[in-house]
Amino acid sequence: MADEPKGSRGSLQGIAMAVVIWAIVVLSSLYYVRYGVPELASDRGFLDSLYYVILGITGVAYILYQLALGYVIYRYRGDRPNAESSYWHESHKLELTWTIGTAAILIPIVFTGLIYWDRVRGPAPEDAVTVMAVGAQFQWDFHYPGADGEFGRFDPTLYAIDNQIGLDETDPAAADDWVLTNQLVIPVDRPTRILMRSKDVQHAIFLPNFRVKQDLVPGMTTEVWFTPVKTGSYEVACAELCGLGHYRMRAFLEVMEEADYQQWLNDNAPAAVAEVADPAAEAPPASAQ
Amino acid sequence: MEHEKQGFVSKYVFSYDHKMIGKQYFTLAMSMGFIGGILAVLIRLQLGFPSKPWPFLENLFPVGMASGIMTPEFYVSLFTMHGTIMVFFLLSLLPVSGFGNFLIPLQIGARDMAFPFLNMLSFWTVVPGAIIIIISFFVEGGAAASGWTAYPPLSAIRSAIPGSDLGQTLWLVGMIFFVASFTMGGLNFVVTILNLRTKGLRMMRMPLTTWAQFVVGILGLLSFPALAAGALLLTFDRSLGTSFFLPAGIFIGDTLMPHEGGTPLLWQHLFWFLGHPEVYIIMLPAMGFTSDILATFCRRPIFGYRSMVYAIGAIGTLSFLVWGHHMFVSGMSPFLGSLFVVTTLAIAIPSAVKAFNWLFTIARARIQFTSASLFGLGVVSLFVTGGLTGIFLGTNATDIQLHDTYFVVGHFHFIMAGAGLFGAFGAVYYWYPKMFGRMLSERLGKIHFWITFVAYYAVFFPMHYLGVSGMMRRIYDPNVYEYLQPLQPVNLFITISAFVLFAGQLIFIYNYFASMRTGAPATANPWNAAGLEWSAPAHPGHGNWEGEIPPAHRWPYDYSEPGKKRDFTPQWEA
Repeated sequence: MADEPKGSRGSLQGIAMAVVIWAIVVLSSLYYVRYGVPELASDRGFLDSLYYVILGITGVAYILYQLALGYVIYRYRGDRPNAESSYWHESHKLELTWTIGTAAILIPIVFTGLIYWDRVRGPAPEDAVTVMAVGAQFQWDFHYPGADGEFGRFDPTLYAIDNQIGLDETDPAAADDWVLTNQLVIPVDRPTRILMRSKDVQHAIFLPNFRVKQDLVPGMTTEVWFTPVKTGSYEVACAELCGLGHYRMRAFLEVMEEADYQQWLNDNAPAAVAEVADPAAEAPPASAQ
Repeated sequence: MEHEKQGFVSKYVFSYDHKMIGKQYFTLAMSMGFIGGILAVLIRLQLGFPSKPWPFLENLFPVGMASGIMTPEFYVSLFTMHGTIMVFFLLSLLPVSGFGNFLIPLQIGARDMAFPFLNMLSFWTVVPGAIIIIISFFVEGGAAASGWTAYPPLSAIRSAIPGSDLGQTLWLVGMIFFVASFTMGGLNFVVTILNLRTKGLRMMRMPLTTWAQFVVGILGLLSFPALAAGALLLTFDRSLGTSFFLPAGIFIGDTLMPHEGGTPLLWQHLFWFLGHPEVYIIMLPAMGFTSDILATFCRRPIFGYRSMVYAIGAIGTLSFLVWGHHMFVSGMSPFLGSLFVVTTLAIAIPSAVKAFNWLFTIARARIQFTSASLFGLGVVSLFVTGGLTGIFLGTNATDIQLHDTYFVVGHFHFIMAGAGLFGAFGAVYYWYPKMFGRMLSERLGKIHFWITFVAYYAVFFPMHYLGVSGMMRRIYDPNVYEYLQPLQPVNLFITISAFVLFAGQLIFIYNYFASMRTGAPATANPWNAAGLEWSAPAHPGHGNWEGEIPPAHRWPYDYSEPGKKRDFTPQWEA
């Protein structure tokens, strides 16, 4: 064709495009392998498995499609000898194949995902350690219900410097309640249930090592539960924009052996624990400080 | 049809001509996009070199970068406004309002849009919106700082963050102007396409670009009012003391707020009821441009035209049923979340149809490598990359870990921003001769493409690594977290790549404006394309065709038909 756009059939562009796409596929995939999810410390390993299954499927699709794209660009570049394009533009068989094929690959992913979702979002086991996370600009307060296992009532009119969670001390259930700021301590191998509420704007509790994330919504109590399986100290992040200090709204999650946890409760829970606790309960009376 | 001679004001300012209005949108969108790009550079500056002083920047931003160090509140304003400007004022205005107005009448054989006055009004309604958005940077407290999603209470309570004062008010007012404009535009698109098609142009003979704009018009009409309602209610909450989005017991800055009875989740539902169709408002035109461009430069009919049309329709329909996938961990009922998984992943099916149809359009082709076709091929690559990462996020079980991390940022910059932007670039290179009667420099265009394509992958692909490693989005300094500190080299790499990406766009801006004067004069059909728009003169005047409007005898993709002398048969030839 004499009147084609000048230079448009130059082989350089087509070959370059193919090579660049191939190079991107190879480099991006090689580097992907170097970055894994943070070390797992909860029983949610099945979420990681699903992630890796999807990564495998989409990874193969990504590599094959981009390699094919590079190939057809290279193969059908305009300057090849006897270049001719085909008028062929319809094939119900092919179109049906990739429609059904895509659906067939997606359906198991969807169902596995839904089953796993159900598993992590279902009701928490009865014996779970329960803590209430209270989010505020830019601090986490973890409210322990004490030995009675019941959270004292809170009243927003009582928020104060020395009562960050607005606990109503007149409520009998509040007598043995206590609060840890920017630190959460839980025992290993026992389900932990975190109830959560926000004092001001939205926040989200993010436990990267535990595959846990849940928004804190003012006016609502949300919750999440999981079972830590590894002891250690982990970082807790805020994952929902909550203001100018969002980036530094950080806390620590300490996972302890059951015995250490009991010891820690003894050493740190307020004396009220001793008064209320049944001597037979798992938390023995705290020694005087 | 006669058109009177126009003076300067009626030709360039308050024009009724769809082509001039389209070009006005281009100028506005590109200016806004340039500003949005500068904001992105500043964001990356902070993430690449956290809290490093840049004394010369103090002159530009005396408050936000006092003594040259970026403040956290300025950083939050930056990404809020980057998102707002890019999503609405660049990626919606350029492909939809800009190209929609410019191309629809030319592609369907109409003298103008159905309602030229409404068209002008629509443009002059969005201009104040854009000005208000820009002005908000200079008011006390700075621009809005609650993310482009403006979740209350952060966006509703003035003392929650400095930007939630006057800045957020201006943001809401700006958005209401935008919505009003966009709704007028959508109405015009739908009415024009349904009523003003030339003789012989059945719906199933329309180019895919026009098909996309048709569906986009419907999406805009149905989804944007939800944002308008939300923005109005939020304004009431902020200024009149109502409590649509605010429950009792909010305690900010040592003050207990007087609100009671509302819920922040209502805003999320309203916002994402717009927000998700909006993604396809951006995507669908890019898909249309890509299909038209690939057919022309592959010298081959688009593969599976009929299924492409159905895919556009299916994506448009499904886009209204998936908004909850932004809210899997929001406190919304987990049962509802499961429903949204099914609808969300269903979108992958029509998307895959598009991806394979493009691949089979390129196969058995004779590809001409112009700037336009390179960008079209770029869309195909980006679209598949971004589409596949959507599967991780649409599956609620895997979304838990990845939600609100850089994985999401990487994902939408490929699928929405990337494919949308590359599609728009391709479209500019392709239709520029019809817009200005001159050709863009192909040489500069190719340099622009190569820098953009490589830098785009370099910027946004590594964001998936960050997200998988657990880096949250919207954080001012990731190094606060010990587990994120090892990722600093990745952030630095992204920052440097982002600077290159931005620099590459300057080439485009230069090419765009310089070629209006110095570009080689264009012929009426410089690409030997078959679409009806190429039957109009090189630089069509008001009314588009001098004589009769040509009828459509065929679809716009008759390339390389066997037995024909030329390798294309124009749509207007019997």
